[in-house]
Amino acid sequence: MTSPVKDSLEHQLKALLPRGRVLTSAAQLAGYGADGLGYKNHLPDAVVIPADAEELAGFMQGARALGVPVVMRGAGTSLSGGPVAAQGGVIVHTSALKKIREINTEGFWCEVECGVGLNDLDAALKPHGVFYPPDPSSGPVCTLGGNVASNAGGAHCFRYGVTSNYVLGVEAIMLDGSVHRFGGPAGGRGPWREDWKRFMIGSEGTLAAFTRFWLRLLPLPEKVWTFRATYPDMKTTEAAIHALVAHSSYPAAIEMLDPRGVAMVESSQMACGLPEGSFMLLVEIDGPEALVNARVESVAEILRHAGSQDVMFSDEDALRQKLWKARKASGGLLGQLSPSYVVQDAVIPKRALAEVLQLVYDEADAANIRAVNVFHAGDGNLHPNFLFDSRVPGELEKVEFISKRLMQRVIDVGGTLSGEHGIGNDKSAYMPLVFGPDSMRLQLAVPATFNPAHQMNPLKVFDNRHFIA
Amino acid sequence: MNVFPPMQHERLFVPFLDEVDGTLCLPANATAADVHAQARAHRLRFPLLLDEAKTLREQIAATTHAPASCRFGPYCDNILGMNWRLPSGRIARIGERVVKTTTGYDWLRFLLHSGSRYGEPVDYVLRLRPDCGFTAIGRFDGDTKALRSCVSKLLHSGWMHWWDAVDYVTEGRASFVRVMIHCVPEQAPIFAQQLEHVAASTGTQLKLQNNVPPPLDGLPDLVIKTTPDRAIGLSLELAHAARRCVALCYSGVVHVYMNESDDLTERTQALVQPYTAELHTLGGDWHSRWLPATPPTITESAWLNTLEEAIHEH
Repeated sequence: MTSPVKDSLEHQLKALLPRGRVLTSAAQLAGYGADGLGYKNHLPDAVVIPADAEELAGFMQGARALGVPVVMRGAGTSLSGGPVAAQGGVIVHTSALKKIREINTEGFWCEVECGVGLNDLDAALKPHGVFYPPDPSSGPVCTLGGNVASNAGGAHCFRYGVTSNYVLGVEAIMLDGSVHRFGGPAGGRGPWREDWKRFMIGSEGTLAAFTRFWLRLLPLPEKVWTFRATYPDMKTTEAAIHALVAHSSYPAAIEMLDPRGVAMVESSQMACGLPEGSFMLLVEIDGPEALVNARVESVAEILRHAGSQDVMFSDEDALRQKLWKARKASGGLLGQLSPSYVVQDAVIPKRALAEVLQLVYDEADAANIRAVNVFHAGDGNLHPNFLFDSRVPGELEKVEFISKRLMQRVIDVGGTLSGEHGIGNDKSAYMPLVFGPDSMRLQLAVPATFNPAHQMNPLKVFDNRHFIA
Repeated sequence: MNVFPPMQHERLFVPFLDEVDGTLCLPANATAADVHAQARAHRLRFPLLLDEAKTLREQIAATTHAPASCRFGPYCDNILGMNWRLPSGRIARIGERVVKTTTGYDWLRFLLHSGSRYGEPVDYVLRLRPDCGFTAIGRFDGDTKALRSCVSKLLHSGWMHWWDAVDYVTEGRASFVRVMIHCVPEQAPIFAQQLEHVAASTGTQLKLQNNVPPPLDGLPDLVIKTTPDRAIGLSLELAHAARRCVALCYSGVVHVYMNESDDLTERTQALVQPYTAELHTLGGDWHSRWLPATPPTITESAWLNTLEEAIHEH
C-alpha cells in the first residue's frame, strides 16, 4: 500500500542515496519493526543504508530538511526498544560501515567503523595478542555502534568494566551534516574545551549519528579458569557472591542462574545435570598462568565454604565451555519458551539481591507470569526475564505492572534502572523515579543541545521527547 | 504517558560505606587520610590517590589519572556518583552508588574534571577495591633503551592487568621505571619472580622494596594526555624544563612537576605550546592549574550556551 506522502519521501530519499540503498517496500521494512525485545513493533517509513560516512553526512543534512525522525540501527539486538522507529520516519542501517581501520598494539588502541561486529573485532584483535573487553551476549551479531550507543556490558564487566571504560574517541555527524571528532586514539578532549564524548557514549542514538570509534585495548589474559557451583538457597548463594567480590583473585565474571532458569535448562535439550531447585553460580578468573593457577584453590574454597557441594572447575577450553553451557543456553531458551518476553536490567547494591529477587518471584507468581533470573551477580545487575504472550489481552499489562513495582523497589534500595541495555522506550516511563527536578533539567539539556527538535530517535530515553516537524 | 509523576526532590547521597559493594560516599573535601581511615577498617582501599594531605576534590581537579589507573582506569571510572552544587546553590545528584549504569546521559564524566565552571562537587561516591595486605615497589634502572624495553615487557603481556602502576620517572637527566604491586602476601614471590624475569631479559637492574606505602607523587603542575606509545618520549622531551616527569605508561598520561617560580603560567604555556597540534590530532589534551581552560570554538560556544542555561537556571 502506498500513499502520496510515502511516495514523496521515497522519491526524496532516492535523491539523497543511490538506488538499492533506500528500502521502502513492506517486505523490506518488516525486519526493522522491532529490536531484540520483539513484542513492540514500529514499522519505519523507510530504511537507508549509506555506503560510507560521507554518504551518511549527506543523508543527515537532507533528513533535517525532510523533517522526518531519524533512527540509527546496527544489528537491532537492543533489549530496550532503542533502534526502532517509535514515531515512524527513517531507519539508518549502518551495516555498510564495517571497516576495522587500524589496530595499534603499541598504543593499545584500534579504530573501527560503527557497523563492525563485536566478535569480528575480537577475531581481528586476537592474532595481535590484545582484546576489547566488553562482551554482551549478542556478540556474534551486535555492532560496536549499538554497543557504544547503549553503553553495553556483558558477563566479564565485574573486573573489566563496560563500554564507556574503553571508548577513547567518537566521530559523530550532527543533523546539519557537520562531522565532529570527540577524542581520538589518546582518549582526551582533543581541540574541545569540554569532553563531549562523555555525552555521546550511552546516548542511544538521540544526539547524533556515530560513524567510527577509537577503542582502548588490553593484552589478552594468558590463562582462564572457569568454576561452576550450585547452592540450595539464595542466602548461601548471596554469601558466596559477597565473598567473591571482595576476594583478591578479582574474578572477571560472577554470573548467576536461579532455580527457574535451572529448571528451564534442565528440561531442554541443553540439560547439563544441574540439581533441581538449585541456584547456579558461574565464576571466571583470568591472568598470567603462574598467578591465576595460584588462586584456583582459594576461589574453589570460597564456593565450598559458602555451602556448595558440587564445585567444578577447569582450565581446559572444552570443559570450560561445558561449565558455561547452562548460562549461555538460557538466553536462547527464553526466546523458544515464550512468544514474548521482557528483560529488565536494573542494578542494585548487592546486599539487596535476595530481597529484590524475592520481590520478582512474589509479584510474578501473583500475576501468574513466568519469571526467570539469569544475571551478572558480581555487578548486582539483575536480568529478570518475564515470559508472556503479547497476543493474550492483559498479559503485557501484567508484566508492566510487575516491572513498575520492581523498579520502584530497585530505586528504594539505592539501585538504578539500567546497567547495560539502555532505556530506549521500554524503561523511559520510569525515569521520573531516578531524576529529581534539578538533575532532570540537566538530563533534558543534553538532547536540547545537540538535537533540540528531537528528530534523532524520538520517544527514547525520555518519553516526552516528541519530534514535531 | 508517564507511569510515575515527576519527583519533587533530589535523591541526594548521604555519607555511607557499603563494604559488600565496596563503595564509599564522603565529602569532596575529605583527604586521603580520611579515605584510608574508613576503607581500611573493612579491608578496602581507594588506590587512586596522589597526595596524603590534599582533598579529594583538589586531586581530581588536578588530573584525570593516578599511577594506579594502570590497573583501575581513570578517576571517572572509579567515582560512581556525586552530590553537585549548581551555581544557584541547589544541589543535584549526579550518577549512582552502584558499579554500572546506563540510565540517562553521562553528566558524571562530563562534570568530574570541568573545574568550577558548572558548580562544584559536594560529595563523592568512590568505588573501593579489596585491600590485599601487601604492597611492593619495584625500581628498574638502566639506559633509556633498556628502560623502554622494560616498560614494553611489563605492558605487553597478561601481567599488565595486575600491575598497580607502571611509571617512567625522569628527574633531571636520570630516569627509572617504577612498578607497584598489590597482592596477598603469599603471592608476592610470584610477582617478584616476574619482575626479576623482566629485569634479566631487558638488561635493567631491579630493586624491590616490600611492604612500603604506595608512592604519592603529589599534585602535578601540568598533565598531558596522549597515547601510551607516546608517553615516555613526551616525558623525556618535557623533562629538561621540569623538576620531575612521571609518565603513567599504560594510561598515556604525563604528570609534569615544575620548579617553583613566579612565572609558572608563562613557563607552563611555553612547555605545552609545541605539542598542541600533535595532541589535537591524537585526540589528547592538557590541563594545568596554572593555565586557563581552552577557549571554546564557535560550534562549542553554541552548545555551551544551551547547557549553561540549564545549569544556571533556578
